[in-house]
Amino acid sequence: MTSLAKVAIGSSAKVTLVNGTDPTAARLLEMGLTPGVNVKVVGTAPLGDPLELEVRGYRLSIRRTEAARVAISR
Amino acid sequence: MAPAAGSSGALTVALLGNPNTGKSSLFSALAGIPTRVGNYPGVTVEEKVGRFAYRGRLIDLIDLPGTYSLAPKSPDEVVAVKVLLGQMPGVPAPDCVVVVADATNLERNLYLASQVLELGLPTVVALTLGDVAAEKGIRINVAELAKRLGCPVVRVVAPLREGIEALSEQILAAPGTSPPPPVGLEAQRAKVDSSHTLQAQEAIARYAWIEQVLAGVVHTSPTLTRSLNQQIDAVVTHRVWGTLVFAATMLGMFSSIFWLATPFMDLISAAVDMLADLARAWLPPGALASLLIDGVLAGVGGVVVFVPQIALLFFFIAILEGCGYLSRAAFLMDRLLVGVGLSGKSFIPLLSSFACAIPGIMAARTIENRRDRLLTIMLAPLMSCSARLPVYLLLCGAFVPNVPVGFSWLRLPALVLAAMYAVGVVVAAVVAWVLTRTLFRGPAQPFVMELPGWRWPRMEVVLERVREAAGSFLQNAGTLIIGVSVVVWALSSYPHNELSIDAEVEAQRAGWAAAVAALDAGGNPAAAAEREPLVEQLSALDTEEGMAAARRGAAQRQSFLGRAGRFIEPLVRPLGWDWRIGCAAIASFPAREVVLGTLGVIYNLGDVDAGAEEGSSALVRRLRAATWDGTNRKVFTLPVALSLMVFFALCAQCASTLVVIGRETGSWIWPLVSFTSMTLLAWLGAFATYQIGTALGW
Repeated sequence: MTSLAKVAIGSSAKVTLVNGTDPTAARLLEMGLTPGVNVKVVGTAPLGDPLELEVRGYRLSIRRTEAARVAISR
Repeated sequence: MAPAAGSSGALTVALLGNPNTGKSSLFSALAGIPTRVGNYPGVTVEEKVGRFAYRGRLIDLIDLPGTYSLAPKSPDEVVAVKVLLGQMPGVPAPDCVVVVADATNLERNLYLASQVLELGLPTVVALTLGDVAAEKGIRINVAELAKRLGCPVVRVVAPLREGIEALSEQILAAPGTSPPPPVGLEAQRAKVDSSHTLQAQEAIARYAWIEQVLAGVVHTSPTLTRSLNQQIDAVVTHRVWGTLVFAATMLGMFSSIFWLATPFMDLISAAVDMLADLARAWLPPGALASLLIDGVLAGVGGVVVFVPQIALLFFFIAILEGCGYLSRAAFLMDRLLVGVGLSGKSFIPLLSSFACAIPGIMAARTIENRRDRLLTIMLAPLMSCSARLPVYLLLCGAFVPNVPVGFSWLRLPALVLAAMYAVGVVVAAVVAWVLTRTLFRGPAQPFVMELPGWRWPRMEVVLERVREAAGSFLQNAGTLIIGVSVVVWALSSYPHNELSIDAEVEAQRAGWAAAVAALDAGGNPAAAAEREPLVEQLSALDTEEGMAAARRGAAQRQSFLGRAGRFIEPLVRPLGWDWRIGCAAIASFPAREVVLGTLGVIYNLGDVDAGAEEGSSALVRRLRAATWDGTNRKVFTLPVALSLMVFFALCAQCASTLVVIGRETGSWIWPLVSFTSMTLLAWLGAFATYQIGTALGW
C-alpha cells in the first residue's frame, strides 16, 4: 500500500484510506478525499511542497506530510 | 452603537458558506455596509452584522466565518456552529440560514449544506458564481436541485445584483418552515463499509448522497474557458514560469505600495502643512495653537498618511483574491514559511510589512486560521518598514565609514543597511520558532487549501474591499492614533516655564563661550575641529531663528518627555546612549521616523526636515559634534549609531501599529505583548551591538 505523497505528478490514484482520527484526517475527508474517490496529482510548488491535487472537480492543495496519510491504490 | 442582531422584531438570518464562495459580496448585495463589526466575546473571530429592510420587514444578516464543515475544528467554526444552534450569548437563534454554495464546485459545497439541512433549520441555498460556472460549461438544473434538497435554491450573481430580490423573497418566506431530513442520506450511511473510522464513514456517506443528488442535475461540457483555465494553471504553477510570474507579481505589488503611494503621501503631508500654516496665521500663538497644530493636526496627518498604502495593498489583494491567485501565492510560498511554523498565507502580509506594518497586519485578515493570523500579526512589525529607512540612511551615511568590503562596489554603509533588514527577518524567524513552542503551542496546523479556479476579478468587489479596509482603519484606529499624538504632544510641551528656559539657554551660551575660550587659551591648532561647532552654535544664538530653536530645545529638554529621558538614562547607558537619545527614542513612540525630528529639536535645530539634503546634513553635523554632558567625549560613535539602528529595527515605537494590532485582534493583550516583547528584544539587540562593537574597538 502506498500513499498519495508518492504519486508521480500527472498521475491519478484511488484513495483507500485516510489514516488517523484527528482534526486533520477529518478535514481531508470533508474536503472530499474519501475512500473510493479518484485523485490526480496536478503538480507541486517550486520548492517541492505542497502538492496540487484535483479531486471532485476542484483543485486542492495539501502538504506532503498530509498526503502521506492518504493511502491509495493505483 | 448599532442595535444587536435580532432586536426589535427583526428577522435574524445567518449567512453560512465555504471560504471563497463569494459570501462577502452576497453580504454586501443583501445588506450593504455592515451596521456592526466587532468580535464575538472571548474569541478573535469577527462578528459582522448588517441590517436591511425588505418589504417592510427588518432583517439582521449575520455573516458567519467561512467554514467547510459543521464538525468544528477551529474557533471560527465553533462560532459558526454556536450561532446556528442559538448558543452564542447575545446572538438570537437564526430564523433562517442562507447556505452559500459555489456553483463551480457544487459537490464539495453541498457537504456543508447537507449538514445544515440535517439540523432542520429553515434553510435557503444561494447558488453563487453561476456566471463563472456558465463560462466553464457547468449547467445546473436549479429547480430539480431544490426538489432533491428539499429547500429553496436561488441562483445569484451578487456583484450584478442578479437574484437578490428572489433570495430576499425566500428569506422572508423561510421562517417557520423546516426542510425534511436529506432523503436517502440514512440509506447511504447504512451502505458504508463499517471497517472505516466513524468520521470516514460519515464523509463517505455524505459524498455518496451528494453524488446521488447531483446526478443528472449538473451537466459539464468542455468549453474554451475551461481549457484556458488549465493553460493558465499550467503556467502559473510551473516550476520556472510560475516562480517568475510570482516574483514579478510580488515585486509589482510591493514596489507600488513602496513607491506609488509616495506621491499621495507627500500630497497628504503637503495638505497638512498647508492647514498648519493657515492655522498659524489665524490663531494667536500659544498653547491652543500648539495643541491644534502640533497635537491634533499632526495626529490627523499621521493617520491619513497611511490610507494610500492601505488602499493600494487591499486593491492588489482584492484583485489577486478575485482572480484566484492569492491562494496560489500561498501555495507557492508555503514551503518557505513552514520551517518557522507558519503557512504560505502569511507571505503577502509579511512582505507588505516591509513597506508598512499597518497594511500588512490588516492583510493578515486573509489568513483564516486564528493561530497563524495572530502569529503573523506578531511578526509583521519586525519587518523593516519604510519609516525605518530614513533613520538607517541618516545614521549609515553619517557614522558608518564609507569603505569597500571585499569588492570595490560593495560599500560598508550598504552592507550595514542590508544587515538592518536581515536583523528583522532573522529575529522574526527566531521569535516564530519560540512562539510556536510556547504561547502558540499545539498540533501542527494542517495546510489543506482550496485553489479556486481562475476568474476575472470584479471591480465592484475590489473597490468594496478597498473602501472597507480604509474605512475600518480610519474609523477604528484613527481616533486612537490622534489621541496618542495629542498625549505625546502634551508630554513634550509641558511643563513649560519661560524663566527656566531662558536660564538654560543662557547657561548653554556661557558653557560654549567658556569652552571656546579654553580651547583658544590652549593654543592647540588641532582643537580647531572641536572649536568650529561650538562657534557655530554660539553664533546661531544671535539669530532670531537660532534663538527660537534653542528655546524650543530647552523647552523640550525641560518637559515631561525630557525628564523621562533623564529618568531612563540608566537604562539606555548600557546601549551607549546619553539621555538625549533616550528622550528621542521615547518621543518617537507615535512613529519611528519622528526620532530624527526629535533629535533635531533636542540639538537646538528646531524643526529639521531630515529627509531633505540640507536638513539632514545640518542634523548630521550636530550629531557628530554632540558630546557627553560635561566632557568632550563624542556621543555618536560607530557602536552607538549601530546600537541605535538595531534598536529601531526591533522596537515597537509605532503607536499606529499597536492600535491596529489591538483592532485586528480585538484585544488589548496583543498590542501589550507586542510592545513589551519588541522593546525587550530591541534593548537586548542594541545592548549586544554596542557592547560587542565597543569590545572589538569599532
